[in-house]
Order: sequence, then structure tokens, then C-alpha cells
Amino acid sequence: MNLLRQPGRRYLCTLAGGLLVVVYLFPVYWMFASGFKTSAEIFANPPSLVPRNPTWDAFHFVFVRENVLRYLRNSLIIAIPVTLLTLVLGSIGAYAMSRIQSRIVNVALVTVLLLQVFPDALLATPMFIIFRSFDILNTFAAVILATTSKTLAFALVVLRPLFKQMPIELEEASLVDGCNRFQTFWFIVLPIMRVALIVVAAISLVQAYGQFVYPLTLLSQQELQPATVGIYSFVGAEYADWHRVMAFSSVFVLPILVLFLLLQNRIVAGLTAGALK
Amino acid sequence: MPHARSPLLYLFLFVPIAYLLTLVGFPVGYNILMSMQQVSIGNISRLIRPFVGFDNYELVIADEAFRKVFVNSLIFVSVNVVAQVGIGLAVALFFTLRFPAAHFLRGVMLSSWMLPALVVGALWKWMFATEYGVANYALTSLWSGAMPVHWLSDPSIALLSVTIANIWFGMPFSMILIAAALTGIPQEHYEAAALDGAGAFARFRYITLPAITPSLLAIACLVTIYTMRAFDLIFAMTQGGPLHASSVLPLLSYQYSFQLFKFGVGAAIGTFAFVIVFAVALIYVRTLDKEAPL
Repeated sequence: MNLLRQPGRRYLCTLAGGLLVVVYLFPVYWMFASGFKTSAEIFANPPSLVPRNPTWDAFHFVFVRENVLRYLRNSLIIAIPVTLLTLVLGSIGAYAMSRIQSRIVNVALVTVLLLQVFPDALLATPMFIIFRSFDILNTFAAVILATTSKTLAFALVVLRPLFKQMPIELEEASLVDGCNRFQTFWFIVLPIMRVALIVVAAISLVQAYGQFVYPLTLLSQQELQPATVGIYSFVGAEYADWHRVMAFSSVFVLPILVLFLLLQNRIVAGLTAGALK
Repeated sequence: MPHARSPLLYLFLFVPIAYLLTLVGFPVGYNILMSMQQVSIGNISRLIRPFVGFDNYELVIADEAFRKVFVNSLIFVSVNVVAQVGIGLAVALFFTLRFPAAHFLRGVMLSSWMLPALVVGALWKWMFATEYGVANYALTSLWSGAMPVHWLSDPSIALLSVTIANIWFGMPFSMILIAAALTGIPQEHYEAAALDGAGAFARFRYITLPAITPSLLAIACLVTIYTMRAFDLIFAMTQGGPLHASSVLPLLSYQYSFQLFKFGVGAAIGTFAFVIVFAVALIYVRTLDKEAPL
């Protein structure tokens, strides 16, 4: 739109936009700020908008007494295999859907679109019973398998249109040169798609890292539980040490926010490609 | 296309689809089976259990808590859809004004959606704390004489509170999708309208809105599907309470199964939610069909 020819107005809009984002993301600031307060300051009325004497006490407490590192390690032990499994299954599936010319692809795509909608809190009950009969409750494998069902559907939906945009001539040339189909996929297709794959990996990692219902349901041993379940057991009570809960949450989400800000543009593009095409 | 009939491609298609059918399709079917059985802690590992027909469904429909939560779900989802799409559209339109850093700021806003829903729930529980929460502080300092609100413990307000938190969590995602739809409108349409002397509102009403209506429908379906999933956020904030005031179907189903151990009843409640999301998903798939031929 050409409404903003005058530079003054344009910068005024930037200012307004910046203000909007700052106000909107105030809760995120509040999480970090609360973590740096003392227990006295956290229950001060009125609350201080900026910690008066910023202190690492709450962080120190959650690291030493609440085993944050163990929780974070468990979160990663779940999230990394989920990401890898999603990448492998998502890339082969999306590649097949973009190259097979048959109505079976439409059937497969509709199947994926329909299967991705079921709430995980509702799938948790049958999964609990099914995994119980295979005797894999209280294993990371159970949570990894369950969580991947969510990230995989998403990966297929995002990757299919992106694979479809890739010119087929490159693959034809590779086949003529004597590569077999698997080599063509591995050495030609995947390297070209690496940016898309990084985006899908980042989104899957974030989803798996923040997954709550499946570990809550499938893991009853505290030593195995990831940080989401740890934070939940920390806030479950009526009374909570909020500066400590917020310190725990801050440590937990900081990697996600950093990863997101680094890949922001590409993640936004990847998300929109999947949802509307 | 030389290798369109390659067996490897069919294997590539088969493996992920089989994975999803095993880990999503089968549990959905299993849930429906359970909803027609009597399932207790004793027979939970067996596939053959007493068949009770629609008894669980009759129990569920007669249950006061279920009726309340069913209505809650409808309110929670519809308010979320209207607010997320409405606010999302307004914010997306603002960011289409070409000013410096517009793209960057729009992207940063998505940070709220990248947070784990459980953390968002914990965070809003803290902000909504009656005595020391920042929400009541803001309220009482903006309105002198306003009484502190019991955001999470007042049964008539708890649903509103979790709805506000969920709108904050999800709105940027709708906004990003709407922004993508807006960039698809050819600039020439606006230039032609500007030459004809159309004002900002006329341009929105006669160019923007008709052009993005199909996308808005698809986005509304997606928001419905995502909002029907809400569990972590509410579970962290209120556990559905007080007295089911802020509960939704997946949460009630989960509580029946894992707190009361009435798995059959929990499964029957789940089926109601399945039917709703499945119907919306069918509409969503059809809207996509029209947008871009598969």
C-alpha cells in the first residue's frame, strides 16, 4: 500500500509496531523478571516491574534442589530422537507424495490431514493401554513414538508442497548419470531441501521439547520425566514459589526462544507453507 | 517422469502413512472400542472386555459435569476462533503497511506461540494470582476502586481467564497465516481502487475481504482444531476447576480415565470430541481443495 510515502509516518508506524510487540510480549518479560526476584519481592504488593535487587538465588535453587539439569536432559533425550525420526519419515513421505502421480497420493494426503487433528490428551488413554500391553510404559521409547505421531503429520504437510516445487530435471539428470533412486534422493534431493528440513527440524524439536501429555501419562518414574512435567509438579499445588517456578520456566524456554529468533524468517515461511497449501 | 512408478517411492509413501495409522488411527479406533466396553483397572490389559453397548454414552449424557463441560468447550472454542481470527486480521493488516522492521516485528510476535503450552499456563496462573498477580495490580491501578478479581478461583470467571490466556498464546499464529493470505492479493487491485478514489475502508471491504475469505475459513477451521486440543494450558492454570468451570472435553475425558479410572466413560467423552474435530477437519480439507488443487 502506498499510504506511507512520508518517512516520518513510516517511522511512526515502526514505533507503534514496536510498542505493540513489547506490550504483547510483556508476559514473557514477566517470566524472566520474576525469576530474578527474591522471595520477599515476589510477594510484594504492589509488584515491582523491574527486580529491585536482581539475584540468581531462584536459579541456583532450581539447579541445585530441583534437578533442572536432569529434567532438561530428559527433555532432550525425548526431543532429539523425535526430531530425527520426524525428519527421516517426513522427508521420504513428502518426497513420495510430491513425485508419485496417482490418486493414491490424494488419499494419503487426506489421511495425514485428518489424522493430525486428534487431541493428544485424548490419544493418551488408548496409547497408555496399548503401550502397557507391549510393556513399554516408563520408557523414553514410548514417549518418542507417541510424540512423533504428532510432529510427523505436521512435517508431511509442511514438506510436501516444498518438495513439489523442486524441479524434477535434476533428478532425471542424476538417474541418467547412473545413480539409483535412493542415491538420487540422498545426494541430490535432500541437499537441495536442506533449508526446509532445518525448519521442520526446528519446529519438531520445539514441539517435542514442549510436549506434556504423553510424558505425563506414559512415564510415572520421576527420574525419567522431562521439564514440562517437572514444572507442572512444581505449580500443581495451590501455593507455589513463583520466583522459582519462573526461574525454572525461563531456563527451560530460553533455548526455544533463541532458536526461534535465529530462524524466525524461515520458520514463519515454513509454517505458512504447510497450513494453507 | 522416469521414476514415477519406482517401487522405492511407494515404500517411501507407505512407511510414514503406516506409522501414522498405527500410532494415531489405531488408538482412535481403540478408543471407540473402549467407549463401548466396561473398562476397569482389573481388565485394562485385555482386549476382550464386557461389551456394554451405549451404556457409557448414556452415563455421559446424563452427567451434569459433562453437559457443563460440553457447553464450556463450545464457548471456549468459539470465543477463541472469533478473537484469534479477528484480532489476528487487525494486527496482520497493520503489519502490511510498509514500514521499517514490519516483517521482523511481526515474526517476533510469534514468540508466544513457540512457548510450550504448559509454560504459558504456568505463567498466566502466576499473572492471574489474586493477591500478588500482575493482572490484578494492573486492574486496580487503572481503575481506582476496582476490587481484585479471583481470576482462577471464581467459577463465573475461570473460563474467561483460561480463554484470555489461550487467545494470547494462539493469536500470533492466526495472524501469521492471515498475513500470508494478505500477501497473495495482487497490488494492482489496490492501485486501481485508489485511482477510483476508494477509501481505506472501501478497499478493505471490496478487495481485501473477498480475496481472503476462503483462507479465513481455512484458518478458522485450523484454530478450531488447535483450540479443541487445549489441555496443557488449562491443566496448568486450573485443572479445569473450580467445579469444572474452566474444563473442556479432552480435560474431562483425561480426568475420568486417569483420576477416576473410569476408562470407558473417559473414552465415550473422547468420542464426542473426536466427532467434532473430525467434522471440522473435513471442512478444512475441503477448503484446501478449493484453494489449491491437490
